[in-house]
Amino acid sequence: MKSSTARKQKNHTRQPQSWLAENPLVSLFVVFLALFLLTGAVQPNFLSINGVRNTLLQAAPLGILAAAQTALMLTGGIDLSVAMIATGAAYVAANQSPNGAGVALLAGTLVGLLIGSVNGVGVALFRVNPLIMTLAMSGILLGLFTAWTQTVLAGSTQMAPFIKLLGGGAWMGSVPYSVLVWGGVTLLVFWLFRRSGWGRLLYAIGDNERAVRLAGVRVWQVRLSAYMLSGMLAAIAGMLLGGRTGAVDLQLAGAFLLPSVAAAVIGGTSIFGGVGGYTGTILGALILSVLNSLLTFLNVGQAIQQMVYGSIVLALAWGYASLMRRSGS
Amino acid sequence: MSKPKLLLATQAIAKSYGPVTALRSVDLTVRGGEIHALLGANGAGKSTLVKILAGVQPADQGVLRVEGQIVRFRTPADALHAGIATVFQDPALIPDLTVAQNLHLSRIDRTHFRDGLGWFGLERLDLAALVRELPLETLRIVDLVRAVARQPHVLLLDELTAALTAEQAERVFALLRDWKKQGKSAVLITHRLAEVMHICDQATILRDGRNVAELAPANVTEHQLVEAMLGASLEPTSAASRSERPPGDTLLEVRGLTARHLVQEVSFAVRSGEILGLVALEGQGQERLFDLLSGNRQPTAGEIWVNGTRCHFRSPYDAVRRGVVLVPGDRVIALLPNQSVQHNLATPLFGKLTSWWRLPSNEGTQVQRTVEQLSIDTRAAAQVRRLSGGNQQKVVLGRWLVGGFRTLLCFDPTRGIDIQTKHEIYALLRKLAAQGAAIVLYTSELAEIGLVCDRVLVLHRGRIVDEQDARRATESSLLTAAHGLEAPV
Amino acid sequence: MTNRLAVPFHHPLLRTLWRNSWVLGVWLLLFGLLIWYSTLIPVFGPFQIASITKNSLPLVYLAIGQAIIVVAGGIDLSLGALLLLSNVVAARCMEGQPAGVVAAIGVALVAAMALLNAFTGLLIHRSGVPDIVVTLATSYIWSGLALWILPSPGGGTAPEMRWLFTGSPSGIGGSYWPPLLMILVPGMLVALWARNTRPGLTLYAAGSNRTAAQLAGLDVRRAKILAYALGGSMAAAAGLATVAITGTGDPRFAVGASATLNSVAAVVLGGIALTGGVGNLFSVVATGVTLIMLNPILIAMGVNSNNAQVLQGVLIAGVMMVGGLSTFLRERRS
Repeated sequence: MKSSTARKQKNHTRQPQSWLAENPLVSLFVVFLALFLLTGAVQPNFLSINGVRNTLLQAAPLGILAAAQTALMLTGGIDLSVAMIATGAAYVAANQSPNGAGVALLAGTLVGLLIGSVNGVGVALFRVNPLIMTLAMSGILLGLFTAWTQTVLAGSTQMAPFIKLLGGGAWMGSVPYSVLVWGGVTLLVFWLFRRSGWGRLLYAIGDNERAVRLAGVRVWQVRLSAYMLSGMLAAIAGMLLGGRTGAVDLQLAGAFLLPSVAAAVIGGTSIFGGVGGYTGTILGALILSVLNSLLTFLNVGQAIQQMVYGSIVLALAWGYASLMRRSGS
Repeated sequence: MSKPKLLLATQAIAKSYGPVTALRSVDLTVRGGEIHALLGANGAGKSTLVKILAGVQPADQGVLRVEGQIVRFRTPADALHAGIATVFQDPALIPDLTVAQNLHLSRIDRTHFRDGLGWFGLERLDLAALVRELPLETLRIVDLVRAVARQPHVLLLDELTAALTAEQAERVFALLRDWKKQGKSAVLITHRLAEVMHICDQATILRDGRNVAELAPANVTEHQLVEAMLGASLEPTSAASRSERPPGDTLLEVRGLTARHLVQEVSFAVRSGEILGLVALEGQGQERLFDLLSGNRQPTAGEIWVNGTRCHFRSPYDAVRRGVVLVPGDRVIALLPNQSVQHNLATPLFGKLTSWWRLPSNEGTQVQRTVEQLSIDTRAAAQVRRLSGGNQQKVVLGRWLVGGFRTLLCFDPTRGIDIQTKHEIYALLRKLAAQGAAIVLYTSELAEIGLVCDRVLVLHRGRIVDEQDARRATESSLLTAAHGLEAPV
Repeated sequence: MTNRLAVPFHHPLLRTLWRNSWVLGVWLLLFGLLIWYSTLIPVFGPFQIASITKNSLPLVYLAIGQAIIVVAGGIDLSLGALLLLSNVVAARCMEGQPAGVVAAIGVALVAAMALLNAFTGLLIHRSGVPDIVVTLATSYIWSGLALWILPSPGGGTAPEMRWLFTGSPSGIGGSYWPPLLMILVPGMLVALWARNTRPGLTLYAAGSNRTAAQLAGLDVRRAKILAYALGGSMAAAAGLATVAITGTGDPRFAVGASATLNSVAAVVLGGIALTGGVGNLFSVVATGVTLIMLNPILIAMGVNSNNAQVLQGVLIAGVMMVGGLSTFLRERRS
């Protein structure tokens, strides 16, 4: 096709700077590598199979939550209730653990699906601003689960052994199961985004909802299903987190909310929709996880940690935006 | 008499957007006391030049002079300070504020402003009304009067008359004649050549980002202007040949369709192989009628029948499933600006839930065939927003060639499009009809009716007031009916 | 004629009422709730009025700040963190100081926070990064800074300062006039300023239609920076009110985060569109107080206070659903 030859020619004639602009993920990978090596310089043990495994183990729940966030951000939405969904799903899974891991996993996932559906109904059918809908949902869930931990969910803090294995164990002692789960989610998300009609609509809705409506698509179905997917992914991430820590409490996933948005943003997914993808989000999640390890190794205290974390997120988002601007889009 | 002084001049202005060059080198000179037309086919670079002159975007290269002084505009405010006031296609008024608040923001004296409105018979306009409550034609006049009240040297008018009634347009021309008597000047960007012949003293013609000619309309014919715009002599206007086959079955029929006072008791039928024209002055309910037919809104009364079955369109989804599809008047509504041509064209393929799970295997070939059939320029195919207006309109039409349809509703598909693309679209519509589609075509250009349509309906105040044979209809017979008048016997 | 959203009233007074119906509605709702609350508890008097007003002060200030920014087309997720920062700086510096010094510190804090957030606004403009992302990042930075300045809750302030915001030098009891004035006057001033002056209207213009505002020759960049500056100063005021009410500084991240979220909720309930350019700033005073009042009402009703959180969420989602649905139906039918 004409367009592809034109692009090739441009790559030959243009400067490396603009080549980077056309391939922003490469720069993102360089940032990740630099941070990884820097962390290694601070803590030599980090540069080992073990270090890589730990990074992936840290990144897996964040990566899954960020996948939910990416799918919604592509439609121009957002889900601020992912952390509470994750926590709630983990609670329910713990509650059902005495009935076996299968039942527990199923129950947790269903909780995610249910809450996601309510979010989706609010956003897709009742046209509530996604920020507000999911914010309100987050408050509702916090209140409900705080009350329920004293009543129906009282004492449900221990996960079934199989879920603990999933969250913290490793396959043949080397590959963490949670990373395998993340791998599965990644394959699913890639297939959805790139090889399914649904994925096309996800991008299309974020770009221009009216155009999609006029094309004979029932936009609410796409939005609703996106929120359902988001709820399910959040539930999976929550159960992995619960499995890793073994016990569940109300602060289980709270710290992952803002990083899940940040990972998608750093990875180049536009918060207004229509632009982005999961590859960038994976790199974003890895960068944030390594950054976390680095700050922990440096032992600088929480105050400095927060400040550095915020500055890096800002710098990366800014860098990405200026790269994209230079590429002329 | 000495030559009047140069008010506005550009030298070798150039501008590119990424890989697409919009302006290569433009020299434009506007003297005091002249009305200057800026002409060109779509994609010639008119809108880019306007943006540069109005300070919306800086030029990449070249010099801009106002009254001989070199200026650099970084914001529209700079252009206003330099004495260039622009009336844009979308009025630059704040929708959520009242007219009075808008004036307050622009530091414009109200009494002065009211005098200006009086010129257009709008002295009773309620300044406490929110801008979003007012109709577009009123807003364009408000915007024009505001621009004049800023007392600039040069007025830039971008397709100002497009949304105005003939009467209002005539008032604008009278205002401009008075304007140039004061030694000031105006630049008119328009597709209506009759206006150029009528009012302009000079015309600069752009083609492919360059100024290719500067003419005095008084000395040339409309035909010569068009030739200069296209760079080649024009084919005789028979690009769209009618098929001689008689029309087939009725595909779409409406009975007594009503939406409040906007659309009243509209009934008609379109048959396979037929192009039904619809003619109306601005704001006679045609937008709403198309909304009803395409399922965008619901009628308050009346029936829609497709293929002999009665249908209730609750959303465009229902209409599209029945094969009734819409090409809207504003192409921006139907485009995905950041997606590729392929993704845009393929969107209608995913309407059904069952099509969500995978991509159809023949998507690529189908898209490729449509691109070739419409000869869409794919140089900027990665993002549709980088395409020119004509190519974007082709993409909007092409969506339905990929998606499939029985009845095509076209709302002014050639508005603001160059003549060549227009002819391509006419030919396409005839071809689709010959293949068995039924087409309803609303157009604001009466000349199109005779070229493309078989029958024509005239809409006035929401009612169908006349039906004519398109072959015999003349512009004057249509216009008479569109004003709600009986044809002289 | 092209039919836009028609106004049902043409009489100027009726139209003004119609356009401000949301403001009237939320104030009526608040008064309704107050009356209902007064029947639920045995004694309803100056003490209750003072307590409700003063407890609402931080949220109301934050919501006014958020509303200004939202009207100008932005959103600021760092306001809660700025509240923390102002709170801890005040608590740390004001402890044991005479009234004059405390007043000077207060004024300086408000000015400094305005500058700080103006810088955030500039950053958003320069970087082209969406507001929500930039302020998410700065919220980490400011709360980190707050934690660094005051690692654990503590500090204090002068009795005069406490009196100003609570009506009593000890923060408990006292007259209800100071907090009542402190809650009503800023909101009223800001709302009048925004609707009647050129800089104020520019904020609305920038949020309503940025392109049109720019084309009309308005300085959109300056408007946005101004909005963020005002938002920052309101967050500083909220921090000062917090130190006056609680008597200490509290640097916990979660406190700031939930304050931010409540401010967004108050803004949305106040009928201020998140898309910008629409809404009356004075309504957030009422919605801010309403959100705070839900808790004591539920307690008075004998309901578990965790349900206040649930009810708050349901209220927000419910109001937005009704609003969204009615707009949708109106658009489709008319």
